[in-house]
Amino acid sequence: MTDTASIENTVDQKTKEAYFTASQGQLIWSRFKKQKAAMVGAAILIWLILSGIFAGFLTPYDPTIAGRDKTYQNGSPQMPKFWDENGFSARPFIYSYERTRSIKTNFRWVTEINKDKRRYVVFFPRGDKYKLFGMTFDRHLFGVDEGKIHLFGTDATGKDIFSRTFHSINTSLAVGTIGVLIAFVLALIIGGVSGYYGGWIDSILQMITDAVRTIPAIPLFMAIAAFIPDTVSSEGRFFIISIILGFIGWPTLARRVRTHLLSERNQEYVLAAQLCGAPARHIIGRHLLPSFTSYIIVDLIISFPYMVLSETALSFIGLGLKEPVNSLGVMLQNVTKADVLLNYQWNFIPVIFFITLVLAFVFVGDGLRDAADPYADTKK
Amino acid sequence: MYQFARFAATRAALAVITLVIVSFIVFSLMELVPGDCAERYLAFKNTQGSQISVADIEAERVRLGLDKPYLVRWGSWIFNAFQGEFGDSCILRVNIAQLLGEKFWISLGICLTSLVLAYLIAIPVGIIAATSKNALLNNSLRFVSYLGLAMPNFLLALMIMLFSTIYFGDSLTGLFSKEFRNAEWSPERVRDFLSRAWLPVFILGWSATAFAIQTVRALMSDEVGKLYVTAASARGVTGRKLLWRYPARHSLGPIVNSLGFDLNRIFNELPIVALILTLTEAGALLIEALARSNDQQLAGAIIFLLTASIVGINFITDIILALTDPRVRRSILE
Repeated sequence: MTDTASIENTVDQKTKEAYFTASQGQLIWSRFKKQKAAMVGAAILIWLILSGIFAGFLTPYDPTIAGRDKTYQNGSPQMPKFWDENGFSARPFIYSYERTRSIKTNFRWVTEINKDKRRYVVFFPRGDKYKLFGMTFDRHLFGVDEGKIHLFGTDATGKDIFSRTFHSINTSLAVGTIGVLIAFVLALIIGGVSGYYGGWIDSILQMITDAVRTIPAIPLFMAIAAFIPDTVSSEGRFFIISIILGFIGWPTLARRVRTHLLSERNQEYVLAAQLCGAPARHIIGRHLLPSFTSYIIVDLIISFPYMVLSETALSFIGLGLKEPVNSLGVMLQNVTKADVLLNYQWNFIPVIFFITLVLAFVFVGDGLRDAADPYADTKK
Repeated sequence: MYQFARFAATRAALAVITLVIVSFIVFSLMELVPGDCAERYLAFKNTQGSQISVADIEAERVRLGLDKPYLVRWGSWIFNAFQGEFGDSCILRVNIAQLLGEKFWISLGICLTSLVLAYLIAIPVGIIAATSKNALLNNSLRFVSYLGLAMPNFLLALMIMLFSTIYFGDSLTGLFSKEFRNAEWSPERVRDFLSRAWLPVFILGWSATAFAIQTVRALMSDEVGKLYVTAASARGVTGRKLLWRYPARHSLGPIVNSLGFDLNRIFNELPIVALILTLTEAGALLIEALARSNDQQLAGAIIFLLTASIVGINFITDIILALTDPRVRRSILE
């Protein structure tokens, strides 16, 4: 009896010890794990990020005009089958198609499906070249033995929507990352200075921050993006857009940093550092900011989807990214036409991925915010 | 009374300062565009067949006052802007105030309606979400409001267009039917407008509602657990009366305060929704001015007006808050 009691006691002791000696990160993780929605969101998010990074390998074709399928424009999605009226096949297949034009079709080009000729799905075929971590590869996860396969169909020029979707996830993540990083650096500098010094410097900086916050962001984005000359290459445009996103995204974060600093700067450890003769830059960077790193990280993750959505909106109206860079906004540029709305609805498939991506970010950000709050347990 | 007047004056001064800073940002943006009005006018004349020289451009610059220093031009621009006068657009060669007039008020009306609608839905729903113990209700409300956050308005607009074209055969776009587009205001035109304006109001209100539900819920659940609520319920106040008289009154203060930023968020989405639904109001004009014709005078005027209405709302909500809550008044003055 006493034995089991003492064992239980030591187990209890150990968990307590683990709790009290745990680092901030371990505590956040243990609280985060308890939230089911956030965990599901995190799993989906990791899956989407990985598929964005390895887009070149996962998708069969080049997402730009170079990878287009001339014989299958505005083509509907093709689902690989194992079985049809011609019999069963262990290997999944799709039908082949031909573009024909004759007196029967009123001399218009029409895509005809030939059910007797099958195209079999193959794995790891060689195809269009793509770059990954600075190296060039040409193996793709899947393809078909002849012709091309389009899981999500093709757009008006014959570009594979499946390939474009995954590449555009990649683009969105890159734009978001650059934008968030720039906003982050600006917010740290402006919020840090304003919160640490206080007084009239704070008043002036706050007035400017508030003024920037008052201007609706997307009209402001549009006004700045309109300056980008048409001669800039698409890669250059990509960087300029990310930078603009960052330059407009800082005020919210800067305010947060300032509020934290205002309450922290009267603590004893800051006084101690000041008495030791440390310069302001050192105190802010070394002592003050690390005191709320977890909040900053959470804020960054929460602001990430808004960067992505702003980019999408900007590209959608034609002021953001342009072809051949792929992003959701670029892909959706032409879908408001009645023709597309009525006949080619598969152009909307990427939207599902994007709502999933943003939702995953929102769930993870919310879960992290709850997890990073040390009083979350005591409140309820 | 004196205290209140001083508070109102301070807030008004702050609002004007904000507007001045905003006008500086907007004006600088307008100035950064390559080429100025003089060149544009004469480029137009050139297309009409008349020969122009560098001296002509210079003369035109003097005529338009473009040779004056930057700050002087900014001063005169802002002075006129406060009087509602934005000069002529050098691309369209029409008076901007006239061009915008009605369109801007329509836009503002649409945005304000969706804001009001959002809170009419969000306040009761948010309070229910914060106080009910029904897990299913809570989770589904949470999911709906997350969806509102994750699905940007323009995607929602696209989806509605997609479904309405498939199922009704009408894309529901535009603010007026063909026959009323350029007609004078009449009861028929108003009815036609209302039969079409509900869609942009709904789309703009969608994510605003989701956001407002989140805020109301968070504020309410902070207040509900507090001791004064327990004390009130110990005195025998129960049910709806308890919620309305105690925690709701407290938690709605910050919401009144953030109305300006809610309006900001709605304005944000307006141009893109306008583009998709092919509305003919200020948001659509803004896109037209920025994306197609590069008309900076017009774009600047619209952005300035949008911001001015946000600053105006902020000022009004500050005053309302001070009228209802003396603590706010004092905090400003001390």
